[in-house]
Amino acid sequence: MDSAALFQGFQRISRSKSDVGTLSPVSITTNTPANPNGSLDHSPSLTDTNPNPNSTFSGDANNNNNNCMVREQDRFMPIANVIRIMRKVLPTHAKISDEAKETIQECVSEYISFITSEANDRCQREQRKTITAEDIIWAMSKLGFDDYIEPLSVYLQKYRELEGDHRGAVRGDALPLKRSQSDVGGGGGVYGAPPPYSLGQGYHGYGGGYYMGVYGDGSGGSSPQSGGGGGCSGAMGGGGGGGGYDPYGPYN
Amino acid sequence: MRQAGIYSGILSGGISGRTGPHSLPLARIKKIMKRSGEDVKMISGEAPIVFSKACELFIEELTVRAWMVTLQGKRRTLHKEDVMAAVSATDLFDFLVDLVSVSNGNGHANVVANSHDMVFER
Repeated sequence: MDSAALFQGFQRISRSKSDVGTLSPVSITTNTPANPNGSLDHSPSLTDTNPNPNSTFSGDANNNNNNCMVREQDRFMPIANVIRIMRKVLPTHAKISDEAKETIQECVSEYISFITSEANDRCQREQRKTITAEDIIWAMSKLGFDDYIEPLSVYLQKYRELEGDHRGAVRGDALPLKRSQSDVGGGGGVYGAPPPYSLGQGYHGYGGGYYMGVYGDGSGGSSPQSGGGGGCSGAMGGGGGGGGYDPYGPYN
Repeated sequence: MRQAGIYSGILSGGISGRTGPHSLPLARIKKIMKRSGEDVKMISGEAPIVFSKACELFIEELTVRAWMVTLQGKRRTLHKEDVMAAVSATDLFDFLVDLVSVSNGNGHANVVANSHDMVFER
């Protein structure tokens, strides 16, 4: 894309509180001909669910395909959230410069991209189309964020337990929810408490230590695979299920 | 400051665009994930959930490390330079080195979502 070679990045404009955020590219010079339609093409990626009248878009008629035209607010986490999390770990008297807040805001986005890229690479290698939570956790482990693995796994497990309560419908890509504590000694450490549900007929004998059924479907989940659907054991520091199963087998 | 516990936070809502149950907006996370590469296609509903927690951990870690630098300077205001120093001092944060580099004279002009996406002139 010719315009990309000349693009020199965004210039963050300091903003007042009332302005959610404007963004203008530092320079875009393109030699591409004007859009014959003569109108700006607002692709879905450019508009937000709450369009901001203050946002500025370049006059470039070809910005329909131009990734540069993304508003700052779409590229970063909301700064208020970032600040709140920062304050959780700082003493009360600590002050934070605005620049520091923005820097951390940018770092978070970079972090998300960094992890997602790695997870996406793996999905592509394994010819899967959907990046799953397990892929994310795996990527974090691979990239050195080992300390996050356990709290994230616990968080995900609790989320799944609670979501299972609210959702009767089975999703198309229902994931295995829990590993039975009785399965592997190493795995039990991550998941802790025994499952609160009795599975009855939803229980699959498992080769890989996974079972499904909490998604309200008494027949044991929508996925036709038994045992080992998309597990996260790879990221669990080796606490994986009975040896010799491929957690991503069903996806191949 | 009141903080939602993990149970109450999750119970009050499932996957949603609201920030309520999770401290970071899931829709925004998803957008950023999509921007990380041209070929990012489908993202499971749970992936942003995991990220909302992971980003929280990440912000906390980066902030704590930066604050250590602030304290070393016997200051009480956390500056961008403290964040930069924390990034330099931590191997885990190598991927951030370019992002926070001081040679960047144009403010945030070097901010690119993915450093191995397209290389721009700096």
